[in-house]
Amino acid sequence: MYLVAHVDTSICSETACKLCTQFCPETNTILYDNDKKTAFVAVDRCKACEICVSICDTMAKHHAIKMIMISDLENPFEMSKAGFNPAKWKELPETVVLEKVAK
Amino acid sequence: MSMDNLKISPALEKYMTKEYRDLVERGPYGKQKKVSEMGTFKEIIEEHPMCAGCAMTLFIRLTMIGLPNPEHTILVGTAGCGRLALSQTSIPFIYGNYGDTNAVASGLKRGLEMRFPEQPKDVVVMAGDGGLADIGFSTVLHSWFRKEKFTTIMLDNEVYGNTGGQESGMTQRGAILKMAPKGKKYEKMDMLGLAKTANVPYIVRMTVTNPTRVASVVRKAVLIAREIGPTFIQAYTSCNIEYAIPTPKVIDDAKSLEAERYGFQEFISDEAKAFLESIEPKKAKATKSTEA
Ligand SMILES: Cc1ncc(C[n+]2csc(CCOP(=O)(O)OP(=O)(O)O)c2C)c(N)n1
Ligand code: SF4
Ligand code: SF4
Ligand code: SF4
Repeated sequence: MYLVAHVDTSICSETACKLCTQFCPETNTILYDNDKKTAFVAVDRCKACEICVSICDTMAKHHAIKMIMISDLENPFEMSKAGFNPAKWKELPETVVLEKVAK
Repeated sequence: MSMDNLKISPALEKYMTKEYRDLVERGPYGKQKKVSEMGTFKEIIEEHPMCAGCAMTLFIRLTMIGLPNPEHTILVGTAGCGRLALSQTSIPFIYGNYGDTNAVASGLKRGLEMRFPEQPKDVVVMAGDGGLADIGFSTVLHSWFRKEKFTTIMLDNEVYGNTGGQESGMTQRGAILKMAPKGKKYEKMDMLGLAKTANVPYIVRMTVTNPTRVASVVRKAVLIAREIGPTFIQAYTSCNIEYAIPTPKVIDDAKSLEAERYGFQEFISDEAKAFLESIEPKKAKATKSTEA
């Protein structure tokens, strides 16, 4: 198992700061949904460097990103499956952090 | 190498990958995308094997946002880490021999000018400090003295990252690396000074700490190279592997180096400045020669 970055969309959507999207080294990995006003992660592209976590914690000061075991996410967004198509993002099931870790 | 070439012929559409179709439909073409829009459009770089949290990866990503016309650009690179991502872009990438990047770029740019007199074609060299300051040094300098019209971007991680940690001319004196166990004996080369000596009309030293600035500098460098002459960007793009920087601290490291010895510097000739003002009156005003 391995860790991936996960955005708490309820915190992020309050701010719409878009800082992590500019500092993630990987392309199209932290995506930004203009409708839901939140960042979210394509888990299959995340290399778990945690740069986004430190940007959100120290630069944005919003603490919206945490590293989470991939197996503890239900319905994570996968670019290889969904492709890049913002018009279809609203049809996707919501990513849920499984209870045992969401304290 | 033009919008028409990128588009998929209808008969072949169903055979093309999802990634490519997304790129043609939702890529950055035709309109200069802003850094603040990242995450809302399909980017030019696909997945690649550069290390997690590499500042060079981030710099390359931002460079692609800054390119004024990616559909009319050719990248030239060589051995070294950066080519791992550069070769995964939807921009033609020429993998030059180690050492000849700027010679290849010179011929290429001249050829393109002859072949496409009506359509500016941008050539951008992107390679490591080893590639440009050591082995490619003479072709870099000569391309500057000959005033070849293309942009040279040095991805300066102050080490040979791809081959496991040898010192380069751009390594700081005293730095201890895996293959420089006693510490480097000589000073870091002054490539900015050499560029000034060669009268390069646009010279920038920067890091990755300000993404919007990276894209804007790249844009200016490419535009100036079209009309005026060679441009040079020297970017600190740390190697977290060889310098043992924990990845969550990569941006902090760039910030502290920026404060210490790698501050933002931008030198622009009067001619280049006047040119920028003539095409983008508002933006060029912000371009003051600054010494940090
Ligand atoms: C002529 C030649 N000599 C040596 C090599 C081996 N080589 C491949 S990458 C590399 C070092 C790259 O260092 P740098 O240009 O600083 O890029 P980095 O990997 O640090 O990004 C070397 C020496 C080569 N490919 N060709
Ligand atoms: S830095 Fe944090 S708050 Fe800002 S967009 Fe990213 S996840 Fe949301
Ligand atoms: S952990 Fe690294 S690769 Fe993953 S989303 Fe965050 S910045 Fe991008
Ligand atoms: S070896 Fe260093 S420069 Fe190369 S990809 Fe890895 S972290 Fe980046």
